[in-house]
Amino acid sequence: MYAGKLARLSVSILVFVGAWWTSSGTFFESAIVPSPVSVAEKLAEMIWNTKLFAHLGASFTRIILGYALGCVIGITVGVATGAIRLARDLIEPPLEFCRNIPPVALIPLVVSIFGIGEIGKYFIISYAAGIAVLFNTAAGVLSTPQIRVRAALCLGARKRDVFVRIVLPSAWPHILTGLRLALGFSFMGVVAAEMLAADQGIGFLIMQSTNIIAPAEMFVGFLMLGSFGLITDQLFRMTIHRLMRRYMIPLA
Amino acid sequence: MNWRVLRLEGVGKDFDRADGGVAQVLRDVTLSVERGSFFTLLGPSGCGKSTLLNIVAGFEETTTGGVSLDDMTVTGPGTDRTVIFQDVSNALFPWMNARENVEFGPKMARLSAQVRKERADRYLRLVGLDADGGKFPFELSGGMKQRIQIARALANDPDILLMDEPFAALDAITKKHLQVEFRKIWDETGKTIFYITHDIFEALLLSTHLAVMTAGPEAGIKEVFRIDLEEPRSPSNPDFAAMFSRVESLIDEEVQRMRAR
Amino acid sequence: MNPRKFFWRVLSVVVAFALWWLSSGTIFNPILVPAPHKVAVNLWEMTADGEILFHAWASLRRVIVGYAFGSVLGILTGVAVARIRIAEDMLEPPLQFMRNITPVAIIPLAVNAFGLDEPSKYFVIIYSTIIPVVFNTAAGVASTPQIRVRAAMCLGAGRWEIFLRVVLPSAWPFILTGLRVALGFAFMGVVAAEMIAAESGVGYLIMQSRNMLLPEQMFSGLFLLGLIGLVTDRAFQFTIGRLMRRYMLQTAAFD
Repeated sequence: MYAGKLARLSVSILVFVGAWWTSSGTFFESAIVPSPVSVAEKLAEMIWNTKLFAHLGASFTRIILGYALGCVIGITVGVATGAIRLARDLIEPPLEFCRNIPPVALIPLVVSIFGIGEIGKYFIISYAAGIAVLFNTAAGVLSTPQIRVRAALCLGARKRDVFVRIVLPSAWPHILTGLRLALGFSFMGVVAAEMLAADQGIGFLIMQSTNIIAPAEMFVGFLMLGSFGLITDQLFRMTIHRLMRRYMIPLA
Repeated sequence: MNWRVLRLEGVGKDFDRADGGVAQVLRDVTLSVERGSFFTLLGPSGCGKSTLLNIVAGFEETTTGGVSLDDMTVTGPGTDRTVIFQDVSNALFPWMNARENVEFGPKMARLSAQVRKERADRYLRLVGLDADGGKFPFELSGGMKQRIQIARALANDPDILLMDEPFAALDAITKKHLQVEFRKIWDETGKTIFYITHDIFEALLLSTHLAVMTAGPEAGIKEVFRIDLEEPRSPSNPDFAAMFSRVESLIDEEVQRMRAR
Repeated sequence: MNPRKFFWRVLSVVVAFALWWLSSGTIFNPILVPAPHKVAVNLWEMTADGEILFHAWASLRRVIVGYAFGSVLGILTGVAVARIRIAEDMLEPPLQFMRNITPVAIIPLAVNAFGLDEPSKYFVIIYSTIIPVVFNTAAGVASTPQIRVRAAMCLGAGRWEIFLRVVLPSAWPFILTGLRVALGFAFMGVVAAEMIAAESGVGYLIMQSRNMLLPEQMFSGLFLLGLIGLVTDRAFQFTIGRLMRRYMLQTAAFD
């Protein structure tokens, strides 16, 4: 079973790379879609001269800090809006409007205010991640089954106990969904920010490649985004599975 | 706490309807439940039984009248009354294993780990699940979940168990076993039971007192019986059968009345 | 909405504007963050001379074309992935990889391949749309309850009928969730594409206002984006509520 799965996966990758190879230089100009070989060469070269690591390091530092900040703010405000009716009525209307403004569109404003330094990038990533976390957290807190709360009240739980031991655990699956979505949005935010205003990072690498006409570099960038997105998502899922398993059971 | 009678006096409950009107669900319900009795509320579906139970539990406020233990008015949920819900999947906390669920009440009472463990051991054994304490609710059958819920309630040592059709969702065989066992548990613990059901057979099998409700809306109490059937109770007993048909005809009357409307 | 709630919600919007007004010129340089009334005046002027409509329509037209193509392609691919074994084996791994390459990153490639004109925008929007639609459709089709399929079989439905009358209707809630997410992604994609390479559109408007130091215009653009996003999302939900209600009955999740 497992071997069969692996075989199918390998065939799929081979077919995909094969299609890419044959189409490059025939169907697509190789100045637009370079062949896998030249991309692999470029990748090796960038690993060898460590340029790749500089770009990866820059992007990851931004993601980690921005994501962490966004999650903390998102969960805090989300819990408040979910649990306190007044907070919900006061905070939700402006946020309902803001969530429709894509983070990308804020980049020029953020650059105007914070300059092209790191703070602006943290802001964009936190905004992108924070909104997703906030709305999922609020929905989770609101969706706690009434019977669960009542059962706890019967057993002598005080308001605080109900919140910490019943409402929060019930909300975890939603919060984690938000955190996972937010991870994707963080990648989106960092790439956009780096494309428009940076001199390092994967987004910059991709944008720069068109200016210096180095299509292989662009594809190295794609490769990095795809792989690291996949890896972080898997890591995220594995961590959840390890640490939060008992809270995810109700969803299974 | 030392009380003798749980009293419902002139309890009425209105709900705001979506169309802006008011629905009167309960009207002038007056009942006395003596300490230690097994009091069953029997009525057709949708007559407001659960609303009444929620009021006694303190989850919902009355529109008129009130609930009291002797002269102490019930104002909200309390550890003297514990509800056993029918929707056991939501009632048990899914991220806690059986033992952790049972220990929840003692934990809220800030009892020591030692005492909590003793309580959990004792009540898990009482419901016959001493070997399953480590299992999570999703790993347990419906009947086992309901046993855990009963153990969890008892571990908190309430005076009254409020039971909202606790066995209605179970299969016939499991249900029969649990009814017999629960009756035994009641004998041993001497708790006061306020029990809701639409199952006449179950009511006669378990209760010492039986109140038949009128059909809703504006439901009230039609008749209250004391049930002195020979123990152990058995449907083959002629008195049981006679009682059954008597209660059945009362319920039928109400169903007819509801249809006529 | 009850009056109490209405009051707090109105107050909330008033407070938000008040905070904006107070912060402009104090915390923020008014050249960067202009006061709301200035933005309102600008918005009015740009509406009057038709500039708003021009840019809004440019973005909307791109989204409509790209989103339509992307949705159809996404649904077809999603159904194929869920129903055809070889399609799943061959397409899923590359798609799982590609979903991590954010649409924004694709823009330079789109420009290289299709130039600065409309096709490159369409490409970006199709790409943004297709990913969420494929994955949601596939999940929906795959999650049809077996009992429902068996019930239809017992009643004499053939393979094709089962697909059309049972599997697809069961998958609609998922597909619609995907389409709704994709709508947001489509706007994100078009704005990013217009910011990087375009002569019209709301994204272009925002980018250009930064280069020409017209902060009021930038805020008008942001406001416009929020408004368009809000209106299209509500319109989407309203349409679903009207047309697809019977498929959503069992899922309270869609709101």
